[in-house]
Amino acid sequence: MDAPAKNTALDDPIGRSRFGELMLRLYRRPAAFISAIIVALYVIVGLLTFLPVFDRHADLDGSDQLKKDGLIWQIVGKEYAPPSFVSSAAAPPEDPELPPPTGAAASAERVPHGGPIDLLLGTDILGRSVFWHVIYGTRVALTIAVIASALSLTIGTVLGVLAGYFGGIVDAIIIWVVNTVSSVPWILLTLAIIFVLRASFQVAKSDAQDAPQGTTKAAPAGDRDLEAVILAMGLTSWVGLCRLVRGEVLSIRERDYVVAARAMGLDTPRILVRHILPNITHLIIITFSLGAVDFVQAEVVLTLLGLGISAKPSWGRMIDDAKLELLRGVWWQFAAATIAIFVLCLALNLLGDFLRDVLDPRLRGAD
Amino acid sequence: MGAYIIRRILWTIPTVLGVMLLTFALFVVALPDPAITALGKHSSPAVRKSYREKYGLDKPAWLDFTALKSGQIRKAFDSRFFRTLTFQFGKSSHYNRPVSELFLAKAPISLAIQGPVFVIELGLQLLIALYISSWRGRWPDFVVTLLSVLGMSIPIVSLYLLGQWLFGARLHWFPIAGWGVGFFNCIQYAALPILVSVFGGMGGGTRFYRTVVLEQLHSDYVRTARSKGVSRHDALLVHVLRNVLIPVLTNTVTALPGLLMGALVLERMFQIPGAGGLLVEAIFNSDSALVMAVTYFLAVVYCLLVLVTDILYTLVDPRVSLY
Repeated sequence: MDAPAKNTALDDPIGRSRFGELMLRLYRRPAAFISAIIVALYVIVGLLTFLPVFDRHADLDGSDQLKKDGLIWQIVGKEYAPPSFVSSAAAPPEDPELPPPTGAAASAERVPHGGPIDLLLGTDILGRSVFWHVIYGTRVALTIAVIASALSLTIGTVLGVLAGYFGGIVDAIIIWVVNTVSSVPWILLTLAIIFVLRASFQVAKSDAQDAPQGTTKAAPAGDRDLEAVILAMGLTSWVGLCRLVRGEVLSIRERDYVVAARAMGLDTPRILVRHILPNITHLIIITFSLGAVDFVQAEVVLTLLGLGISAKPSWGRMIDDAKLELLRGVWWQFAAATIAIFVLCLALNLLGDFLRDVLDPRLRGAD
Repeated sequence: MGAYIIRRILWTIPTVLGVMLLTFALFVVALPDPAITALGKHSSPAVRKSYREKYGLDKPAWLDFTALKSGQIRKAFDSRFFRTLTFQFGKSSHYNRPVSELFLAKAPISLAIQGPVFVIELGLQLLIALYISSWRGRWPDFVVTLLSVLGMSIPIVSLYLLGQWLFGARLHWFPIAGWGVGFFNCIQYAALPILVSVFGGMGGGTRFYRTVVLEQLHSDYVRTARSKGVSRHDALLVHVLRNVLIPVLTNTVTALPGLLMGALVLERMFQIPGAGGLLVEAIFNSDSALVMAVTYFLAVVYCLLVLVTDILYTLVDPRVSLY
């Protein structure tokens, strides 16, 4: 009884905004709906870490080494304490190479002073909270995904629209650039850009050291890593969207409403922004949701190669640490980061698929 | 068809030139002077000069205009741009050996891992896609689709680590990491990287090929063939497979850079002395000659592979050459 009524409501395009219809469809698809909630939760967690309340655990700027050691890397328990929900019987064997600290001084120093939340997911090699590492990893992962996406989407959209709308020599040049950039395998170009950026940062750093005190302030190493990763990813990942947008604009340009706008004498920037851009936003949204997955995953790969994040808490660093830990039975840091990435990427993948199905069924193929 | 192939080959020239310009812009224009990076900014000009001479950095970047004016054409084109363009790479500043020699010594090891990964992965993806096409909408289809989405979401590095832990540390089936001497010894070490790599890369391709096979399976020519009495098996292997080859070719080319990333990560995690590790080491050592050479060389190889696929298209589907 209920289902047909729902369908007619859905199929009726009148009286509902595009956004409203999208929300209704989202509500009708449980997997996509749950995915959207999960992504929203990650974003909220990532944003919450900017609140001053959380500074007890982290000073992410790392400008002051002492502050950094004291706060961000706060020691909350003994080394490699397993998650608090696991029984203590499952504790890992002591490392035979490192003699355990003995004497009153050592034990007094090692007294765990973290609360239950700090110890929820156990501790890492120095006794720092894995839980807070995951939380701050969210912030770094989302920062990378959002800024790199903004960069790549902007480049891709602008070049795609220009190539598609103007055609001719502009199109030829942009297509040549796109072909060139896509001819260098993605990871290779990313590494090359990171290599160059790192060398430049090194020179800037040594210049800053030579300069009289107080005249210049070098950015902290953590920011430099992040900058290099974001720039490299943003500058290499725009070609796919550029091709899509160009193809779409080529056909939009010939439609009646654009021809009418041109005949009415509207100037070109206005046509581009008011008539063309709104009709390619779906491509941008789809590329954003599916591209964010790639950015989150690429951070892990780059960090593992030693060219990603080194001075900020990130999921990639947790997995990188786990290279040696996992074989010794310390699984919680690895599991926490892997699950955090897995859930986010799964949600983004499902949400991206949903958006693609709803906004542009042609991209989907015969599913 | 001949005209198409010639046109396609000519189209590669601007792309290769573009790749060269891009590499050159990154490593020669944007990169700080390697002599200063290597020797420090307080080094004496004489030492810097000899360093530049040793690694060919004293040559002009684009063209030797003074030589060009005096008519020495050969000398005029002896610049860093044209040397790189013609694959005359310099010496690695870290290993103090020619870059090409270093790369060629390491490349076969990477190929020995990535070659089998590529072949096994493609074969399995196609097999699964063809097989589950007859189960559309039922549980095997659902399971495969679910597994591919799960596989696409898990970080690849985590998968490698899990493989090392399960098959290496727990079950003792394979050595955890390392590399051997001699063919049979190496197979033992290569097995686990190949296994986890194939497993990790299956997801995206399987899902894509499933869509493609289903699309072909429901088209008119298959229905006609079936109504003439062609068996389902023959329809799949003769009619569908041939038409699926075009998307397969396209997807194969886009998957190649993924193999490269696999080489970088695998070789680091499994301590395989291949070209991927060489590149990562070179970045750490600020060995710009080596990084630039590897980037340019692999990009040109990739361009050529794209060219070969485009020519293969015409063999699979002659309609392509009409464009």
